[in-house]
Amino acid sequence: MLSATRLGRRFGNRVAVDDLSLEIARGEIVALLGPNGAGKTTTLRLLSGLIAPSSGTIRIDGHPLDARRAAGMRSRVGFLPEAPGLWERLTVRQNLVTYARLYGLRSPSSAVDASLALFDLRDRAGDSCVQLSKGLKQRVALARTLLHDPEVVLLDEPTSGLDPESAREVRRLVVRLRDERRAVLISTHNLDEVERVADRVAVLEKRLIAIDTPEALRSRLFGRRVRIELRADLARYAAALQAQGAEVRVLEHGMSIAVDDAAAMSASALVKMLVSLGAEVEAVVPEEPSLEEVYLSLLRDQRSDTA
Amino acid sequence: MSRVRALLAKDLADLRQNPGVFVPAVLTSCIALALPFIVAIVVPAVFGEGLADSGDLDLAREMYRTRPAARALDADGAIQAWVFERFLVLLALSPVAASMSVAAYSVIGEKQARTLEPLLATPITTVELVAAKVLASFVPALTLAAAVFGCYLAGIQVFARPGVARTLLAPQPLAVMLLLTPLASLASLQLAVCASARANDARSAQQIGSLIVLPLGGLLVLQLMGAFELTAMTLMAMAIGLAALNAALMWISVVVFDRESILTRWK
Repeated sequence: MLSATRLGRRFGNRVAVDDLSLEIARGEIVALLGPNGAGKTTTLRLLSGLIAPSSGTIRIDGHPLDARRAAGMRSRVGFLPEAPGLWERLTVRQNLVTYARLYGLRSPSSAVDASLALFDLRDRAGDSCVQLSKGLKQRVALARTLLHDPEVVLLDEPTSGLDPESAREVRRLVVRLRDERRAVLISTHNLDEVERVADRVAVLEKRLIAIDTPEALRSRLFGRRVRIELRADLARYAAALQAQGAEVRVLEHGMSIAVDDAAAMSASALVKMLVSLGAEVEAVVPEEPSLEEVYLSLLRDQRSDTA
Repeated sequence: MSRVRALLAKDLADLRQNPGVFVPAVLTSCIALALPFIVAIVVPAVFGEGLADSGDLDLAREMYRTRPAARALDADGAIQAWVFERFLVLLALSPVAASMSVAAYSVIGEKQARTLEPLLATPITTVELVAAKVLASFVPALTLAAAVFGCYLAGIQVFARPGVARTLLAPQPLAVMLLLTPLASLASLQLAVCASARANDARSAQQIGSLIVLPLGGLLVLQLMGAFELTAMTLMAMAIGLAALNAALMWISVVVFDRESILTRWK
């Protein structure tokens, strides 16, 4: 649905985004992760047609998004900037009606009515936006982003600064976008949010460092591991396993062992080995590194490669 | 065109919620309205001396010569008509003041309120955006100009000699209000919007937009000194010049409105 090929953007001598290629399918949510200044917002602005790339191409449903077509193509994209950007003195309805007209919707009023109902904003339609809480403003901004029924939705830190309840509400709305078969790219620093909503994760630091499902990234970086807890003699059994070629890290109450299902070091083989050595196994737990560990590890690797 | 209407309607709705922005303009207009009455009516009344007694009979003669409607007036009335006509240029400055802050704030304000990015993400083109922003300050300017002119005529009808108001309904004075004033306002507001798209803060944009006030002010002084006469020919030349200036300013505004730079470099 949305594809970027070898996308680059420079501001003078400064490279903001370099050689970025990614594709997002319909009904897919891709999370864009990266440190501050990594080029996330620039990437979203490029993909929304707000700014032009210095190099590379962007296609929406196969149609190129270039300077000549940008105005028309922008109606196929819904872009939520980091700030809600509502006209504060105007009411919720006035904000939405203005955007419905700007997008050239046939019946702005009924489109706004439908949107207000969808986002549960009907009872606040007549309130000026300055009266709204931050969470409600974000909900109105999301309603505005989706008012023209875009196929591609780009969200720049949609839950930033929201309380947990509002953030959860926004996440629920984001997940609904996948159900509606839209292609969604969401920029965020919230790794918990990524775990909850994203199908794939793209890690960016000017260049795309990695893009895959969270599970595949974990597996690629850390392999599969299990944590085995024993009643006693932890060090002795760890040494015995290491002698058999197992990659073992001794922990406070057990040991973390790399597992390879295709070889002798499967989890069941390891347990059998320990039991045969007389160990009393109390627990065997699959070990899953957090997405934060994966993310930090990717950035570390990238920086050491660059250095 | 529908997008221009949409953004214009939004800007006007926003202005209705913030009437305080017009307070300086109303004050300026009140001063502009009061000045000619002070010169033509209050001062002679205070000093007990008619305008015709002050040796300005040449002004009356000029009015009799150039304005058929003035021939029915006595010398005092003719001189009053001369004063009120000359001060029309000052009234032309009021709408400029009315909307200068609106125009100067038009693009910078959107940027500062962080409303520009979602707006630019819509299919609106730069021409549409600039046109809507200029119109959003031009409509209140014209409304105020019409109100000020109405008050001016009503005040003259009430306080000046009978028949003086009618002399202002002649083609030349009307051309000042209906042609020169809108064109000068439009040029000034376009200049401010253009500056608003480039300057870093609204104050700079406002100062640049106010530049148009200088030639108009100069025109007023030259007229009062008798060094310049607004004839049909000079009016037409000024109108053509201002129309050309407006067309050029529209083109320049669109060219200098750099979406990318506004989004990525402004803080």
